[in-house]
Amino acid sequence: MNRLTILAVRLALLGAFLAAWEMLPRHGVLDARMLPPLGDVLRMLVDVLGRPRVQEAIGVSAGEFAVAFLIAIPLGAAIGILIAENDYLGEIFKPMLFYVFSVPKSIFLPMFILVFGIGFQQKVAYAAFSTVFIVIMSATAAVESVKADHLLVARSYGATRAQIIGRVYLPSMMPVLLEALRLSMIFNFTGVLIAEMYASRTGIGQLIANWGENFQMPQLFAGVVFLATVAIVFNESIRWLEAQCSAWRT
Amino acid sequence: MQRLANLSAARTDAGPTAIEVAGLSHVYDGREGKVPALEDIAMTVGAGRFVVIVGPSGCGKTSLLMMLAGLRRPSEGAILCNGRPIPSPDPERVGVVFQEASLFPWLSAQDNVEFPLALRHAPRAERRRRATDMLDLVGLQGFGGRYPHELSGGMKQRVAIARGLVQDPPVLLMDEPFAALDEQTRMTMGHELLRIWSQTLKTVVFITHSLTEAVYLADEVLVMSARPGRIIDRIAIALPRPRTYDMMATDTFGRLRDRIWQQIRTAD
Ligand SMILES: Nc1ncnc2c1ncn2[C@@H]1O[C@H](COP(=O)(O)OP(=O)(O)O)[C@@H](O)[C@H]1O
Ligand SMILES: [Mg+2]
Repeated sequence: MNRLTILAVRLALLGAFLAAWEMLPRHGVLDARMLPPLGDVLRMLVDVLGRPRVQEAIGVSAGEFAVAFLIAIPLGAAIGILIAENDYLGEIFKPMLFYVFSVPKSIFLPMFILVFGIGFQQKVAYAAFSTVFIVIMSATAAVESVKADHLLVARSYGATRAQIIGRVYLPSMMPVLLEALRLSMIFNFTGVLIAEMYASRTGIGQLIANWGENFQMPQLFAGVVFLATVAIVFNESIRWLEAQCSAWRT
Repeated sequence: MQRLANLSAARTDAGPTAIEVAGLSHVYDGREGKVPALEDIAMTVGAGRFVVIVGPSGCGKTSLLMMLAGLRRPSEGAILCNGRPIPSPDPERVGVVFQEASLFPWLSAQDNVEFPLALRHAPRAERRRRATDMLDLVGLQGFGGRYPHELSGGMKQRVAIARGLVQDPPVLLMDEPFAALDEQTRMTMGHELLRIWSQTLKTVVFITHSLTEAVYLADEVLVMSARPGRIIDRIAIALPRPRTYDMMATDTFGRLRDRIWQQIRTAD
């Protein structure tokens, strides 16, 4: 199949899905109280996005996301690079990190609440905690993806340390780094939302949990559509960047 | 061609020295304890000569080359390159070509060749001009825009040679540069290398596993023993230049190759 056909099939499937979402509840095939028609959901989305309380909640969530990200990325990158560059640290800590990475982070949420309460700090701490391990592992993988041969070539042409970092390490690591950025955004996003849904006074996660508990389905689905859109846009922007610099990776 | 042949013949006379190694030994202090890699190496390479080093795997050939390039310091002994020690890499004195896949995959062929000049912050126009000249020299005119994954194995090594020569160093060190190529491409590349060598008048130290390649290319073959590597034989290859593929079928060629083979076998 050529690319155009594939694109056409994909669009047709999406169209069918959206049409079904609109028609089936509208004509009573599905229970409209459980699944409101797409049109109602979109109208509700416009409505809730106009409410100051919702705008404020989105702002709080975005702030938590940004701060957690700014903590997790440099911290994780520093630890990851240290582990990758230092053989002894690597041998000691690498297995431990794999163990911790495999544990679902949400089981630690009650502890974060005990230590940080249920405010902004707790959301940031928990989201950073649930993100930092993937950053550490990706940073390690990124450093290890640099070929010893390439470093040797650069050294044989008299490259300085700064030149080796800028002209060999960075371009070698770029594809892995962008992938890491993408994954850590997903982890971070999930971290913020879970913390908000679990216990919080504000934030978009708390709103969604609340709408669900109160059986406000149009609002709930409006929130779902909104978050899904944000996540997909983030993800695709980074994937687009990845594609730009991975032409040579084949 | 006759002129080139005369020139090459003249080079075999004892002229100025490009590389001088005396009493060189090296012991690696690795995790599995001390590994004696090289023992009491002495060698002299005259300017403009083509010297080939052969020896069993792990006998320290790469280690020796790294030391000649200033990439590693020997535990003992002295190296002089054009009369001066080489404590750290100096691309204006020594160019290096590695085994394979040493090109940067994120740079075009042109940018790979320009890489050493970019490190020195050479002006853009000069970089372009020198790199283009080098790509022409190695027979890749018009391929500068290609990325390594768009080039064949032989073409990649041509780019690597162009990169090694772009700063015009008098000495070119080559560590099994054609080892990953198929036999036919390998012979073509050897022949091409001799052409480039005769045009540029470089001193070449070339490491290989292939005895045929060694005899075909060399003025002199140095045979190394298994670890710790010592030089156990020096064989002058008196075949006339320019070398031709026909020479491989001659008795002289066969005898030279057999002699190296005997040496390596007893050394193992
Ligand atoms: N960095 C190193 N640390 C410890 N041992 C090494 C190191 N590099 C090479 N060696 C050892 O030194 C010996 C010579 O290696 P090398 O110079 O690569 O040989 P060759 O190129 O002839 O195959 C080998 O036994 C190898 O295992
Ligand atoms: Mg080797």
